[in-house]
Amino acid sequence: MMLGIATETATAATLTDAVPARISMRDLEFFYGANRALKGINLDLPERQITGMIGPSGCGKSTLLRVLNRMYDLYPGQRATGQVWMDGVNILDDGIELNYLRSRVGMVFQKPTPFAMSIYNNIAFGVRLHESLGKAAMDERVEWSLTRAALWDEAKDRLNSSALGLSGGQQQRLCIARTIAVRPEVILFDEPTSALDPISTLKIEELLDELKKDFTIAIVTHNMQQAARCADQVAFFYLGELVEVGAAAQIFTAPTQKRTQEYITGRFG
Amino acid sequence: MPGPPARLPPDHLPPDHPADLTRKAVRAMSPPATATAMTAPTAQPARRARGAAGDALFRAAALFAALFVLISLSAAALSMLYGGLPALMKFGLGFLYHVAWNPVRQDFGAAVPIYGTLLSSALAMLIAVPVSFGIAIFLTEVSPRRLRGPIAAAIELLAGIPSIIYGMWGLFVFVPYMSDHIEPWLTDHLGDLPLLGALFQGPPLGIGMLTAGIILGVMIIPFISSVMRDVFALVPPSLREAAFALGATRWEVVSGVVLPYTRTAVVGGIFLGLGRALGETMAVTFVLGNAHELSASLLMPGNSIAAAIANEFTEADSDIYLSSLIALGFLLFVVTFIVLAAAKIMLLRLARNEGN
Repeated sequence: MMLGIATETATAATLTDAVPARISMRDLEFFYGANRALKGINLDLPERQITGMIGPSGCGKSTLLRVLNRMYDLYPGQRATGQVWMDGVNILDDGIELNYLRSRVGMVFQKPTPFAMSIYNNIAFGVRLHESLGKAAMDERVEWSLTRAALWDEAKDRLNSSALGLSGGQQQRLCIARTIAVRPEVILFDEPTSALDPISTLKIEELLDELKKDFTIAIVTHNMQQAARCADQVAFFYLGELVEVGAAAQIFTAPTQKRTQEYITGRFG
Repeated sequence: MPGPPARLPPDHLPPDHPADLTRKAVRAMSPPATATAMTAPTAQPARRARGAAGDALFRAAALFAALFVLISLSAAALSMLYGGLPALMKFGLGFLYHVAWNPVRQDFGAAVPIYGTLLSSALAMLIAVPVSFGIAIFLTEVSPRRLRGPIAAAIELLAGIPSIIYGMWGLFVFVPYMSDHIEPWLTDHLGDLPLLGALFQGPPLGIGMLTAGIILGVMIIPFISSVMRDVFALVPPSLREAAFALGATRWEVVSGVVLPYTRTAVVGGIFLGLGRALGETMAVTFVLGNAHELSASLLMPGNSIAAAIANEFTEADSDIYLSSLIALGFLLFVVTFIVLAAAKIMLLRLARNEGN
């Protein structure tokens, strides 16, 4: 297995060769029933960097995220083929323990999804699924994750009140805190700011920059500026194909593909 | 086919037609008061008046519908109270805890039926709540899509069975089975336990509190499970996915996210079932045994408020007997009201603890 991943990565053409890949996709295909939504994707997520995924609606970028934590398994009729390597294991294998995989590959969704419980319990919920911590250790973990998510100052005096009372931006940061509290290695962001106001969006973007010190991040976004501001590596998808991938600066200033150039200059999408 | 008309009548102009825009502009510029000579603006106030009258009528109709509930509820309660007043006057508060029910000596107390109503309903809840929860979880979380329709339909059919059928099935099929198999087993295996054993002693008659509780439980399963299923299905998929994304198992998603999210409605559904169990008459009358005796054992016959009324109404040969039965009916009102009010208070307290 280890040998497998080594050769795979060596042949992969990425522009971030200096950084080892945390996740490597090889010949990844995805099907909604008979409909092929991803076609032969080869893409690496470099460790502790942000990979931005852009492309018009329905191009498969959100689908790709849902492959990386096997979220699609919840729905019959959806399946993926090919390989997705992480630590020498193909996570598409049948024997993969999904709960463990999802504790290592966290996900933040488009709309904030706080649970109908207190702020404290929202965070403790995820932690309790995988670890049994004492009261003090749990308190510490909650504070740590809220601090990392830049929510501690706003939330510390109301940890026991309902999470539903937070504003939209605060709720989204709570969801980020909840995700990092489980201490994953990879975090997937599926358009995390599309339901938020500009100030909340800015806060989350700053947060992403902070988080990449510890986590490998993949973010799907419709906002080109956001991809340019946050991402180290950018992948452009079109109709289920990975058209081009490269360093953010290169993609936005000197794309090699005509379709990429047309999309980033707003010709379509 | 005739060709298109050379000119459309003015009223049928497309909305963005230049002529129509001009008309709109004219209308917007001239306030109705100064434009009484124009036909269109004069039509406006008349229409508005008609709309206001219709609105008032609608409001009155809705108010009447709402009041109708209150009026019929209080009318029923008051007439029960009025009918039961002679008994309540004669026996006083003692009517509530007096065990005797003796038509010969004209001595009546409601302790046995109240106890029977509460106990049989509690047994029914004990059976129906977990089963309904399982049904709802299966239908919303586990079952393959093509099984959902048939199972849901079967549950609705279960709700549609008249209670007299449950009573007959209970008496002719279930009671003999209970007395031949289940009750002897219970007495043999649980009858000797300290404390708990008292619940399972006595002859295996078949009829009795336990049988009534089981039948009642089956009867209210459809109500509780369909409410639960409906509210579980309302949980946003994004919330469910968020919990799965944290690495939760199916059970952890249900217990940690789905249940808290739907708690209010689930408790509401449970009490809807409890309300039905408290008032259920026919099925209980068949299998409860109608014995005015207080017994610790679940296997012994007992009585419930509704069953006592149904059984004895035709036999009530004296005024005080009849009045005592009506007073029982009034107590059923009160018991149901107290139970439902307690549920409401519990829900409010839950909501407050959560910090909403």
